[in-house]
Amino acid sequence: MAEVALTLSGVAVAFGALRAVDGVDLSIPAGQRRAIIGPNGAGKTTLFNAITGVVPPTEGRVVFEGHDITNLPPHKRAALGIARTFQITNLFPSLSVEENMVLALRGLSPQKFSLFGSPDLSTADQDRISRALRLAGLADRSATVVTEMAYGDQRQLEIALALVATPRMLLLDEPAAGLSPSERSIVADVIRGLPQELTVILIEHDMDLALGLVDYVTCLHEGRLLVEALPADIRTDARVQEVYLGKPHHA
Amino acid sequence: MSGVSRSKSPMGALVVLAILAVGVIAPFFLSRYQIGLATQILIFGMLAMSIDILVGFTGRTSLGHGAIFGASTYVVLYCVTQSGLSPYLAVLLGIATATVLAAIFALLAVRTNGVYFLLLTLALGMIVWGICLRWTQVTGGENGLRGDIRPKALSDYKDFYWFILALAALVTFGIRRFVQSPFGLTLRGIRDSDSRMRSLGYNVPLHLFIGFTMSGFFAGVAGAFYAFFNNFVSPSTVALTQSVESLLMAIIGGVGTLYGSFIGASALIALQNLVSSHTERWQSVLGITFTLIMIFAPEGIVGKFRALREKYANKH
Amino acid sequence: MDRRQFLQSTAAGLAAAGTGLQPMRAMAQGEPIRIGLMAPLTGVIASGGKEMVEGTQFWFEKINYQIAGRKVELIIEDDASNPDTALQKARRLVEQNNVHFLTGNLLANTGLAVANYVKGTGTPYFIPIIAADELTQRGRIPNVIRTAGYSGSAFPRPLADWALKQGYKRIATISQDYTFGHEQCGGFSQVFTEGGGTIVQQFWHPLNTADFSPYLGQIADLKIDALFVMETGADATRFTQQFNSFGLKGKIPLLGAMNMTDQSVIRTMGPEVEGIISAAHFAEGADISATKEFVEAYTKKYEKIPSLYGFSMYSGMMWVSRAIEKLGGKVEDKAALIEAVLKTELTDSPLGKPVKLDAYGNPIYDVYIRKVTKRADGKFWNVPVETYPAVSQFWKYDPEAFMKEPAFSRNYQGVKKS
Repeated sequence: MAEVALTLSGVAVAFGALRAVDGVDLSIPAGQRRAIIGPNGAGKTTLFNAITGVVPPTEGRVVFEGHDITNLPPHKRAALGIARTFQITNLFPSLSVEENMVLALRGLSPQKFSLFGSPDLSTADQDRISRALRLAGLADRSATVVTEMAYGDQRQLEIALALVATPRMLLLDEPAAGLSPSERSIVADVIRGLPQELTVILIEHDMDLALGLVDYVTCLHEGRLLVEALPADIRTDARVQEVYLGKPHHA
Repeated sequence: MSGVSRSKSPMGALVVLAILAVGVIAPFFLSRYQIGLATQILIFGMLAMSIDILVGFTGRTSLGHGAIFGASTYVVLYCVTQSGLSPYLAVLLGIATATVLAAIFALLAVRTNGVYFLLLTLALGMIVWGICLRWTQVTGGENGLRGDIRPKALSDYKDFYWFILALAALVTFGIRRFVQSPFGLTLRGIRDSDSRMRSLGYNVPLHLFIGFTMSGFFAGVAGAFYAFFNNFVSPSTVALTQSVESLLMAIIGGVGTLYGSFIGASALIALQNLVSSHTERWQSVLGITFTLIMIFAPEGIVGKFRALREKYANKH
Repeated sequence: MDRRQFLQSTAAGLAAAGTGLQPMRAMAQGEPIRIGLMAPLTGVIASGGKEMVEGTQFWFEKINYQIAGRKVELIIEDDASNPDTALQKARRLVEQNNVHFLTGNLLANTGLAVANYVKGTGTPYFIPIIAADELTQRGRIPNVIRTAGYSGSAFPRPLADWALKQGYKRIATISQDYTFGHEQCGGFSQVFTEGGGTIVQQFWHPLNTADFSPYLGQIADLKIDALFVMETGADATRFTQQFNSFGLKGKIPLLGAMNMTDQSVIRTMGPEVEGIISAAHFAEGADISATKEFVEAYTKKYEKIPSLYGFSMYSGMMWVSRAIEKLGGKVEDKAALIEAVLKTELTDSPLGKPVKLDAYGNPIYDVYIRKVTKRADGKFWNVPVETYPAVSQFWKYDPEAFMKEPAFSRNYQGVKKS
């Protein structure tokens, strides 16, 4: 079994002379929960952007479920089932939660081109939205306008948006960034509750949170792949300790 | 910049009906000149509303809509005075031309945003203006095109007013339906975050293209009937001032409010007419008035009214 | 516009709005004669517009705002140099202020827009400044009359005839690229080539050209006997200055369309304007007592020698006033007013000689060939050097046959191929 969902071979992203991602090979089996960790500037978000197409790779290949997506624009990758959340909250602030969810839901449906159609939702759509909001811990908030929501709720909505279109792979970019400990545990519960068949890639700065949520861990350093290991082994890995904690600990 | 509320409260419908009723009976109380002004307000209100689709609902500020509007006016006048076409057919051709022109503008502008979108639409509008000024054989150069082109059935100024009122009601309904439709929601999504829209699977440039073209279609409707109103067109109709003024109407009324466009058009046209008869410095007076509006009601007149009403409702 | 007038027009507007009826205007002699004057008071040609207002007021002050015992109420509106605004103001004046007639406007496009509007309402519209040929030729509207005005192509014709008499054989033209320019160059080129002359080349440049050197460079190499120049406003100033600094002054004689050496242009200029020849019906330096009297009085009041704009509005309103006097002040009958104006011969204008209108509503003038000359006080003005009597807007052609020819444009200049 263990069908491969995503394969990166020799992926590099260069901004002029700076190689933010420098020849990364990665293979993620379908349904796996994978954390990508690394200190600031390790290239985690740039790697995400290369996978979602926001910044196309300058070298290498990205293959998702057998499709070469190296040069596809973001919306076409989304059409193949890749969804993401943003490190910096990226919602539709002046719209209601429900409208946010409707946009997320219709991204892949031809209904988005209904120029003069009724704004009303079908029962099926309403059910899917309720389900995703429940999964994200936001049941009963559909009428709230985003700007009026607490930051923690907005982070949960980030995840709900990514979920509602039932993606095949979900990329979470620091979903708990800037949250209080209690809010973090809510987000952690949300991630744990995600459907089993969904492939999840998680960038997270907080190692405790990340290691408790995933099956396998990739550590990046200066744009290169440093270590790949099970969560249990990663804490004790000397190279990881070195890049995270610095030399004094080593000595 | 909130969207049009989707509530279907009976109160809202009553207010709309009441305003329409006032509009219908207005000619019995107004002088001929005032009915003419009201007709003009309705036409420019439609133009401002077409711009509001972009400014208020898509987050893109166009300075090319005067040119799209005026191109329609030109085509109608040309077809009737030079080619002897029926005015009704000419209106269809005018609207079609405006829509195609908007599509061309859109093709070039949809990949930009912010000030680049503004400047690109401005530049495209200037090209249209230049063509109208220089292509003398067709456009009549700086003298423009003239002729008594309004169809006989609409020749009475009251009948024409009622016709334009009905048209404005229809266009308002159409634009309201458009911005509230599933597609309209995608435009509001793009306004709020186009990067998120892309990651959700939307082809953002395609949506902007369709949105811009539809907006141009509505501007073209206004422009075609402006030809009937004025019986005249010159490069000043496609000039930058036209674009700026109609944008100002949308802003003064309140972007994202749709109906505000008519309020903005009334304010601008009424002020222009009143003030300019009393002082040569009318442009300065207008400038100061609009600056004050922007300082004290940046959300526009209708926007301010809505905000005050909400504040009041929350207190009680 | 003063405060009293403001209150009056506001009150009238409110009354109209309140009763829902057009105010019922009695034809009583107590009612004033209401005149709507439109002029560009803002925009690029605002200075010309202000002189139009001055000229009009200068006339009505002279007659104490009274014609045949009726008060004159002059309502002034800014057309903003924009045809759409002009149209809107014309509507306001006719439909709200109930003026008895309209006058004014400077730019051809504003005048054409208003003319198209009054075609529908029948309101008399007098145009002392608007020179567009078509308004008194192919596109004539019966209630649009060019009192004390002139049609664009008319005066360059005697100038072309004069040029032939000077022995000029080869002439080039340079002009602003718009209808007013096309018409004036057309009139000149047509008569000059029909008389055996050659138009070597025609240069057209956009309005508001800052740098004429590309044209001047070519002109210097053409081996021409004279240059016909059609420039207005700031272009006229810049062209003349650059022509001078290019070293062409004195080498190539300049023949100007009348706006080229109008007071509105040369009053701020120096010796570079001296000697330029132009043709017009009015010469502020003419040795005629009526002209001198007008120029002196105007100069005293406004501290500047009158321009074409001031003169034309003054004389145009004088013309209409004389017609109204003949009607005993009854301006309400539009058809009678138009008829009376058409039949009125203007005898006591600053021109000092009688002027009549032709059957198309355009005046027939004695046209001066004028030369810019320095006065004793150092100022420059136009002095007549020769007179062409009774020049028709159709020159020596048959009007009907002439109007079958195409209108002048950049592509049709009436040039006779030899």
